[in-house]
Amino acid sequence: MKWARTVLPPVVVGVLGLAGWELTVKLGRIAPFILPAPSAIWAELVEQRGNVLDAALASGANALAGLIGGTVVAVLAALLTSQARWLSDVSVPFAAVVNALPIIALAPILNNMFDSTSSVPRRLVAGIIVFFPVFVNTLRGLREVDPTHRELMDSYAAGGWKFARLVRLPSALPHLFTGLRQASSLAVIAAVVAEYFGGLQDGLGARITSAAAFTAYPRAWAFVAGACALGLAFYLTTLLLERLAMPWKARS
Amino acid sequence: MRRVFGALGGFAAFVALWEGYKAVGAPEGTAVWGVHILPRTDDLSMPHLYTVIQRLGHPELAGGRPIWRVVLDACLFTFGITAAGFAAGVLVGFLLAALMQRFGVIERGLLPYVVLSQTVPLVALAPLVAGWSGRLSFGPYPWQDWMTVSTIAAYLAFFPVAVGLLRGLQSPPASGVELMRSYAAGWWRTFVKLRLPSALPFLFPALRLAGAAAVVGAVVGEISTGTRGGIGRLVIEYAREATSDPAKVYTAMLGAALLGLAVAGFVSLLEIPLMRHRRRVEVNVI
Amino acid sequence: MTAVSIAGVTKVFNAGRSDEVTALSDVDLTVDSGQFVSLIGPSGCGKSTLLRLIADLIEPTSGTVTVAGKPARQARRDQEYGIAFQQAGLFEWRTVRRNVELPLELRRTPRQQRRARAEEMLGLVGLSDFGGHYPAQLSGGMQQRVAIARALAVHPPLLLMDEPFGALDEMTRERLQTELLQICAKTETSTVFVTHSISEAVFLSDKVVVMSARPGRIVATIDVELPSRDEAARQSTAYFDTVTAVRKALRS
Repeated sequence: MKWARTVLPPVVVGVLGLAGWELTVKLGRIAPFILPAPSAIWAELVEQRGNVLDAALASGANALAGLIGGTVVAVLAALLTSQARWLSDVSVPFAAVVNALPIIALAPILNNMFDSTSSVPRRLVAGIIVFFPVFVNTLRGLREVDPTHRELMDSYAAGGWKFARLVRLPSALPHLFTGLRQASSLAVIAAVVAEYFGGLQDGLGARITSAAAFTAYPRAWAFVAGACALGLAFYLTTLLLERLAMPWKARS
Repeated sequence: MRRVFGALGGFAAFVALWEGYKAVGAPEGTAVWGVHILPRTDDLSMPHLYTVIQRLGHPELAGGRPIWRVVLDACLFTFGITAAGFAAGVLVGFLLAALMQRFGVIERGLLPYVVLSQTVPLVALAPLVAGWSGRLSFGPYPWQDWMTVSTIAAYLAFFPVAVGLLRGLQSPPASGVELMRSYAAGWWRTFVKLRLPSALPFLFPALRLAGAAAVVGAVVGEISTGTRGGIGRLVIEYAREATSDPAKVYTAMLGAALLGLAVAGFVSLLEIPLMRHRRRVEVNVI
Repeated sequence: MTAVSIAGVTKVFNAGRSDEVTALSDVDLTVDSGQFVSLIGPSGCGKSTLLRLIADLIEPTSGTVTVAGKPARQARRDQEYGIAFQQAGLFEWRTVRRNVELPLELRRTPRQQRRARAEEMLGLVGLSDFGGHYPAQLSGGMQQRVAIARALAVHPPLLLMDEPFGALDEMTRERLQTELLQICAKTETSTVFVTHSISEAVFLSDKVVVMSARPGRIVATIDVELPSRDEAARQSTAYFDTVTAVRKALRS
């Protein structure tokens, strides 16, 4: 019954929410430009499923490219900066400052720097946005070392690279995944929203704006639903990866 | 002091990187297997940083106000909208967190959705909310563009606050809660005297996240609605003129950066009197 | 053969600064082969510092530390001792078996031998069935037993322990004390054991070394002669008399 306690309330809320939404729109005769009914959105989704899938794949590819690129650079940067105390003390505040800026606003500039038919600007923006949470979290993980582990490895006369390989990297893994969880969602958001700023228009963002421009609101919402599904897929995949990479966290 | 050095050092490194790449990079950009991975280095695509600074002092259009004034005004405009959205989002987030703490049922029912909402690009709804302007009104007040932008900023700000504050409200140790019980203090008293103060170290990092999210929401919202007078619109406008006036769009970027810093600074200001002598707790909102 | 020989050792921390502290002052100590020696004293008397000097985790300001007939540094390089701390310090990302294999891995012992030795040690501490578990799945007492298995994995002649049972409840403590004695008897290791507890020191040791508060000096060395080392011993007159003697020495 414990299972019911945790699963039932959100399911009930979800069902009630959808039902309430449907009823309010139908009975209140709310125009679709304000809020389409879930049934209308679903109908559009089914009809447009080919387009939604294509656009989702395009955005997904951009998000993935940004995610992988940004993560690799961030992990390398974290490894480098963790070697020097002063470097890491100085780079964390810098990263925090840059992270407070609307990085997405870089999109138009990047579009200028590259060809207008290039996917690179969107991937770059996603990569930059991904970099910061992964960098900060991985760095934190690399710097925090359990003093008992330190002493133990000292007693084994194992330092330098051995210590990094056997202790630092594995204990930084949970922190890396914390950053990765945030980053995976941010990558999707960046890939979709970057299209609002111009550039190549083959992903979900472009579909949403064009559908809205044609006042085909249920269709626009259908594409939004596709974007949400994409975000969820990324997040869940990251959770799965986490489970696989850290089997010791699962059992306790 | 370290922080200032850090920011300055990073900035210096960035300048060095930019100008350095311009000096050595290929003018047409670098292509690997037909895909351009490094940008073009000519002055049209990557103007010298000094040129950008210079451009700030020059007029926007022939005989207009200097750019820095235009950018600054746009920043202020967007800042106002962002602040309104941020305030609304924080308020709703606060209420929701309090409700979720009070009633376990509400927490179990809503929290999964709140957490999930952080994994999906809700800001993609911006163009759709933009459709409300000009067609919706609350009595005599028509829905205006800036309200759309504020709304988008508000609901991007609301989620990190709700999650972070909830964790903070649940953070006092069981012994503390039992102590308040032994004083026959009811839920409200316990909330004000124990849970709220315990929640502050969790609240401020969440507020900073919410502030950054609100800025992004405002900028994207402005672009989706085409709101005039804001920095988002300015970035797009100047980007269109990039081929004739490359440095202009970078000035708008500086404005966007300034906006982000202003909001972050604002949150930090709030933090100073309330968080002296206390450690901060970073809560991972997903 | 002497396992440990400490002569004229003084340790000063932060020499010349305002927070200078003399942790140990002119300490002499001998541990014979196969002997179990406890170090006991009030907080800050330097017993943990002394242990770390033997382990070459810190260096003496003056005096010499000889372990297994070699200078402490050489002994550490040659892995002449195993060490267990108050925190078990197991690597949470490794299974219990792999945790015990750690010192063997660092010595590049071939895989088959490593496996066999780890199983042998787990059998010794009574945890043969838990080789595939992760530390998070084990209780505090069990984790500490794994730490002891790990410390003895290379069959060192010397075992160093820094309040290993300090974080455990009384019942588990007493049980582990009996087990430890059995293990040490079987493996014929010399042991230096730091503790806060008078009863623990007397029950376990051949010799109890009482230290004074800062600056740490050896106040008394009390030989322990018990008829046996089991539950009956805890009720014997010899036990209570020795406990009283140690208490008196601590008070003086």
